[in-house]
Amino acid sequence: MLIANNLTKKYGDKIALNNLNLNIKTGEIFALLGQNGAGKTTTINCFLGFIKPTSGEATIHGVSVTNHSAETKQYIAYIPETVMLYPNLTGVENLAFFSSLANFNYSKADLSSFLTKAGLQESAHHQAIKSYSKGMRQKVGIAIAVAKKAIALLLDEPTSGLDPKASNEFSEILRELSTNGTSILMATHDIFRAKEVAHRIGIMKEGNLVSEIEAKDISANELEQLYLQTV
Amino acid sequence: MKKRTIQIVAKQVWVHTLKNKSSFWLISFFNILLCFALISGYYHHYNQQKTVKAYSHDVRERWESNPDKHPHRMAHYGYVVFREKFPLSFFDFGMDSYVGNVVFLEAHKQNTINFSEASLSNGLLRFGEISVGMILQLLLPLLVFFWGFGLITEERQHGTLRILLTQGVSWQELIIGKAVGLFYLSLTTYLPCFLLAFVFLLLDASTYHNVEIIGRFLILIISYLSYFFILSLLAVYVSSRSKSSKTSLVSLIGFWLFFALILPKVSQVAGKNLFISPSKIEFDTAIEQELIEQGDSHNPNDPHFKKIKDSLLKAYHVDSTHKLPFNYGGYIMREGERLSAETYQKHQIKLIQVYQKQQNLIRLTAPLNPLIAIKNISMALSGTDYIAYNNFQNQVETYRYHLAQTMNELQMKYISNRVKNSADKNARIEKKHWEEFPDFKAEFLPLRAVFMNEIISFLSLISWIIGFWLLIKYSGKHLKAF
Amino acid sequence: MVALLIKNFIRSKGLLVGLAILFISGIISLNIGKQFLEKNEKIIQKTSHFQKENIDRYVQYMNKEMGLLLYYVRFGLVNETPNIVGLSIGQRDINPSLHNVTIRNLEEQKYTTDLMNPMYQLIGNMDLSFVIIYFFPLIIIAFGFNLVSEEKEEGTWSLVLSQTANTQKMLRLKAGVRYVSILSVLFLLLLIAKFYLSIPFDIYFTVYILTAFFYISFWFSLVWLVVSFHKNSSQNALILLTSWITLTIIVPALMNALVIQLYPIPEAFSTVLDSRDGYHSQWDKAKEPTIEKFHQLYPQLVKYNHPKDKDFSWLWYYAMQQMGDETAVASSKKLKEKIKQRENLSKKLGLWVPTIHTQLTMNTLCFSDITNYLAFIEALERFHEQKRMYFYPKIFSDTPVSSEKWDTFSLAYFKNQPVINLYMVLLPYLIISTLCLLWANINFNRKKYNL
Repeated sequence: MLIANNLTKKYGDKIALNNLNLNIKTGEIFALLGQNGAGKTTTINCFLGFIKPTSGEATIHGVSVTNHSAETKQYIAYIPETVMLYPNLTGVENLAFFSSLANFNYSKADLSSFLTKAGLQESAHHQAIKSYSKGMRQKVGIAIAVAKKAIALLLDEPTSGLDPKASNEFSEILRELSTNGTSILMATHDIFRAKEVAHRIGIMKEGNLVSEIEAKDISANELEQLYLQTV
Repeated sequence: MKKRTIQIVAKQVWVHTLKNKSSFWLISFFNILLCFALISGYYHHYNQQKTVKAYSHDVRERWESNPDKHPHRMAHYGYVVFREKFPLSFFDFGMDSYVGNVVFLEAHKQNTINFSEASLSNGLLRFGEISVGMILQLLLPLLVFFWGFGLITEERQHGTLRILLTQGVSWQELIIGKAVGLFYLSLTTYLPCFLLAFVFLLLDASTYHNVEIIGRFLILIISYLSYFFILSLLAVYVSSRSKSSKTSLVSLIGFWLFFALILPKVSQVAGKNLFISPSKIEFDTAIEQELIEQGDSHNPNDPHFKKIKDSLLKAYHVDSTHKLPFNYGGYIMREGERLSAETYQKHQIKLIQVYQKQQNLIRLTAPLNPLIAIKNISMALSGTDYIAYNNFQNQVETYRYHLAQTMNELQMKYISNRVKNSADKNARIEKKHWEEFPDFKAEFLPLRAVFMNEIISFLSLISWIIGFWLLIKYSGKHLKAF
Repeated sequence: MVALLIKNFIRSKGLLVGLAILFISGIISLNIGKQFLEKNEKIIQKTSHFQKENIDRYVQYMNKEMGLLLYYVRFGLVNETPNIVGLSIGQRDINPSLHNVTIRNLEEQKYTTDLMNPMYQLIGNMDLSFVIIYFFPLIIIAFGFNLVSEEKEEGTWSLVLSQTANTQKMLRLKAGVRYVSILSVLFLLLLIAKFYLSIPFDIYFTVYILTAFFYISFWFSLVWLVVSFHKNSSQNALILLTSWITLTIIVPALMNALVIQLYPIPEAFSTVLDSRDGYHSQWDKAKEPTIEKFHQLYPQLVKYNHPKDKDFSWLWYYAMQQMGDETAVASSKKLKEKIKQRENLSKKLGLWVPTIHTQLTMNTLCFSDITNYLAFIEALERFHEQKRMYFYPKIFSDTPVSSEKWDTFSLAYFKNQPVINLYMVLLPYLIISTLCLLWANINFNRKKYNL
């Protein structure tokens, strides 16, 4: 579903991404581990079409992101590290706005049920975003992604700064989405969360994907050891 | 407050700002603009003076070359006076373009001073004129604000403010130091222009006729320096009170709009409604009405002038005006001129008072608006404010009156009571009398009068500085380090 | 989506404050316009009254000779002030809208200045045109400078980008909401103006509305262009404010300096000297040449002549007066030409500076530009000539004063009808705005997916 083919990104002499090859299948959750600057976000941004690769190609559902950026937009949803929303609009209004940008026009009830499914308590649905905590905004971000009915989900450190309970709820939702056939690429620092939720795990260093492991084949401790050795 | 700390902070502002490449371009731009304004202003002033001199010379020649004639004819031939500009007027155009330049002076009648630059211009003039004064008052504050809005907020955002304060720098030292640094920076834009203006003054011959000009120029410079110091304090103070650089910039631009556009316009509207000034037609008719009541010197049966006649006849023990030892017509006209000039003067003073009240309302906003204070000071010292013009108006009227009365007296002295009219050969006097009548020579107001007229504005500038001093001294407690 | 954009727009307080500022200053400006019109109306009424009184009085006292009476009697010509002047007072506060002249030498009368506080002239009138030209752009800048950058700085932009491939559509709608809100204030003000100042809905008012509309659209196009470079908020604010200062202060002032420098008017000085000498020197000259010249000017008056044995006659007197005007003809003509040249040059150069173009156009539409005043002066010349032609035969034939119906001489009115070239008025805006929009489009397409 999400394929990277010799994906390379250079900024002048600096190589951000070096011949990356990835193939994330339908319904698979892939976690990218690595230090800051290892190339995780660059990878995600290539899939999102935010940056153009220097060489190689990222495809989604068989469509090249570089050549058909507009088309691939409809297949993907994205949750950034911190979901920032319009402070003057309520949760429901933000969801309605972003959904309408993606050409979905939901009823009020539908919008509310998306938010509830994402774990946002009903009392908050009609409050202005100004009063939301980071976790609550993150949940609206999930609702936006889910409401888009995308077949691929790109996550950039989605659980950083969330409390353990919220983080756990988040993992639940990801699992549910994957069971329904959504492919998920997620960059993270959280080794344990990665082990717990992902099917496969990739470790990146200086733009290279140095190892790729099946999550079921390794324990969390072993993964941590491997991570520390690699980086 | 430690002087050394202030110096260190000020120096840091200087270095930090000058490192930015845009500063070089901004400084160059303003230097070029100011020097352009100065040179073109001086050139325009120089040409204008040359024209005025040439035409005044022409007027004098024409006056003196008049043949022998009846003095009353000469009173009507009259004089034309062209307004000479004050040598410093190239610095700040002030109201110069809105006041008249030419006036025809004749007996019995106070003509208006016509042909202001504005009356010959179209709507373009109303956008404002480019002069050194305008750039200094209106445009440079924006640069100061632009350089100054982030001086404290950026330190706060970067977290360096907390470090500074823990290093033992006090709020007062920080604000004063930053303001001083900002003030030094502003000097780079206008100091060269001031020096050039000074050179122009030294090269101008008129400076040596009136040494006060140098004094005026120095006060002008000091006032502008105070103005920029106030602006620097304002920028840094606003920056210290603002949460973010953005709010600081927005507030400073708000201040600028309030100073430059809103307050002057609002005080104008208020002044217009509070102090109603008459239109020309009302003014003229009021004078005419009063003159009719006093009597008509052209009407032989007028009771006022009949009374004069009777008392004259009695005093000189004669039974007819023909037998009086002086020209009776001249006497009556002298009396008429006196009456009408007094009446005119009375109304004119009232009118000027209304204008002054209207302008004082604007002047009184100076404690809220340093821009108005410096604008008034700058105009006053450059000789382009209203009192400078009014001074010219008064001199012109005095000269006109003197001309008319001199001609009347010549008539009394030399014209026989027997001549029928001015066409009579005996009704002419020699042309040497024309040469004897002095040329018009405009005198500029002394510095003292100019200074006293703008005392409010000077005091406002001083109180802005003192006000800021107190504000900064006592406001340290309310400021936030993060 | 539009509904949500509007909601988001309305909920930020600053924006309503901006609209309120525009509205309130607009209302104040209309009030200033109204006061100007009322004052003007009062002056005309008073003058009309004074003229009657003045004629009555002189007819009563100076009724022996027609020539002597007409030395005194003044006739007023009014430059009609349609109510639309209240929208753009222009040069009307500098040049009088009314002249009172006797049939003597006109040159000495027609440049008479009105009484005005020069400080007020310097500050200028805050009429609706001022509010439109200066204040509206500021609020437009405030509403639009962070159209894109606020999304980036607040962090919503990445989400927007991931949701849609067509971000320009959303930005267009966002700008559209602001555009419509500003335009509604403008149209509301114009509607209020229409009724408050009772402005007839004629071609001038229509074009005024169009001009205001296009001017505001120009500023939106400029904001749109600046925003399309995807710079940050403070850079955008700086660029836009600099444009505002450049367009409203620096460029007009420089252009004014240029125009004055290119067309100095020493003729203003020489006309005064010419007309004075032209008239007064006649007293010292032989009468015959003066009268001969007068007869050449007016062959129809040849039958009237100066009585040989007399020192004085009204024919000679008025012929002398006439010589004042005749001598100054050349410099007076040149004076008018120079003013016209100044106006033409500024209009031509101003075409490409929307602020200047708008101000000059609005002044033309509101009968308050220098062209209108020149037309009025020319009408005054015709009016004066016509009065002369009417009275000269009566004076020279010594018609008794009582034979004239003096009460018929009330104020005369002149109305100038400027010709409006709609293409010249609107085309510059269209060209400049289109260029801005096209350029912006290129930028937006190039930076379509830029974070």
